[in-house]
Amino acid sequence: MKLVEAVAEDVTIVEAYGRIDSTTAREFGDRLVSLVQAGRGSLVVDLKNIAYISSAGFRALLIANRAAAGKQGKLALCGVIGEVKRLFDIGGFTNEFVICPTQADGIGKLRQ
Amino acid sequence: MSTGSSVSPQAGLSASCEIRIANNLSEIARVAEMVDEFAARHQFSNEVIVALNVSLDEILNNIISYGYEDAAHHEIAVRLALHNGHVEATVEDDGKPFDPLAAPAPDLTSSPREIGGVGLHFVRNLTDEQTYTRRDRINQLRLIKRLGQ
Repeated sequence: MKLVEAVAEDVTIVEAYGRIDSTTAREFGDRLVSLVQAGRGSLVVDLKNIAYISSAGFRALLIANRAAAGKQGKLALCGVIGEVKRLFDIGGFTNEFVICPTQADGIGKLRQ
Repeated sequence: MSTGSSVSPQAGLSASCEIRIANNLSEIARVAEMVDEFAARHQFSNEVIVALNVSLDEILNNIISYGYEDAAHHEIAVRLALHNGHVEATVEDDGKPFDPLAAPAPDLTSSPREIGGVGLHFVRNLTDEQTYTRRDRINQLRLIKRLGQ
């Protein structure tokens, strides 16, 4: 897994590549939480280049989501498509997150 | 610790591969690589690849994290076998007896959302058949995934 980050004024965009699984979920979650704790409370996490996400990855996302809320921040996901979308649906996670079609939509949502 | 692989001379009607990994989470990446290679060779759909990889990640994570009562080195065997119209994944470990299919279904509506049980829920939903047996101190889980069209 690889994370590519970009900052658009008040919003940090994190693009994830590869697999978010038992091996990589900790690194993924730790990075999101450390961004939140560094005051980057508004995060857009783009999953469109993720091959799949297992329950370990969902756990990391839930923890980051709660960390953002605890810092009066917000976390939006985008690129939840194909098999990744199916995993969100099977796991019942679709309503647990703010999910937007694109990065631009996510940035717009966080600035509302 | 090699990736064995054998292909039938009969143009891919049956094929199999096996890997033996240590009880360490970082080893799961090697299983995913084997799945990707086997899937590419036999042109599995992305849906099948994701189902196999997520299911094996959940099963192996459970075994490695909770399956052993000592801190010793253990081996886990993972096999893939292609049959007519389906792929069979088999996982064998010498951990304590544990039937993952007997685990209760998770509450997907709890608030705050609990994550426990979701991994095995994925396995049950992503594969078409699951069979657990315990024999000679070995847990064996067999997963069947149909290849569809």
